[in-house]
Amino acid sequence: MAGSQVTEFRKLTLDSLKVGEEFVSDDHLVIPEDIEAHGFAVEDDHPWLAEQTAPPTLMANQALHLRHSKYIVHAGLHARMEFNFLEPIRLGMRVRTRGKVIDKFERRGKPYMVTEYVTEDETGRVLVRGQFTQMIIPEPEAPHGHAR
Amino acid sequence: MATRVETETTVGQILPSLAKDVSQRRIDVYSGVKPRSIHSDEAWAHQKGFRACLAQGMMSTAYVSQMMVNLLGPGFARGGTMSMAFIKPVYAGDRLSVHGIIKDKQPDNGATRVVVEVWVENQHGEKTAVGHATGLVA
Repeated sequence: MAGSQVTEFRKLTLDSLKVGEEFVSDDHLVIPEDIEAHGFAVEDDHPWLAEQTAPPTLMANQALHLRHSKYIVHAGLHARMEFNFLEPIRLGMRVRTRGKVIDKFERRGKPYMVTEYVTEDETGRVLVRGQFTQMIIPEPEAPHGHAR
Repeated sequence: MATRVETETTVGQILPSLAKDVSQRRIDVYSGVKPRSIHSDEAWAHQKGFRACLAQGMMSTAYVSQMMVNLLGPGFARGGTMSMAFIKPVYAGDRLSVHGIIKDKQPDNGATRVVVEVWVENQHGEKTAVGHATGLVA
């Protein structure tokens, strides 16, 4: 019997990050609680549930968390975000996000990574396409070579 | 409050602003509560050089999305775009205002694309996020 695949996580630094690396999220069923929680968090009282539709940015965190599927992320800051909303995300859809690292660079001594992504339904139809830039805050090196 | 779908748009039109109270509770619901998170672990946020927990920049994109849906309804959810830069931290306890002004209207495959300059300000009048959003009207 074949063994299960186990992900090996690396600490995220500009050096460890590979441009061209691809990510895929787990599938996520869009449930009413997602929409209610989002509405509370951002004070959006639009009747999304009555319309059986989700706010366009509902799954943005699925995209932002892609890098956590391969890296240990010490801390980070979000610098830029771009969305193209192609089709509405609907209640009851099962959605996933795929992403690819397309650039990494240093600006004013700070490391950044750029990821392009699509969020799609279970048939592969693209709902949202976009790109985001995140600053990497690497783990400081502790004295005597210890990680922390 | 029902969403107002305003299809009469004019270049120079100022959109009704939104006010947002960014409480720690709302940040927790948005980002999840985790140890060693700058969003939900105050000691960790201090250690990383911030005076309090930070709201995710993504919350500001949700505010702008709400403003665009108020303006265009389904014309934002299908065919809309947004490009935002996060230029200043938003902290737990901040009070934000979300603003937009229509800058352009462009023909787009038989519809009209409305281009809105958008920004978010904190209670000190400092811009925390800036960018553009667009959407379609028939």
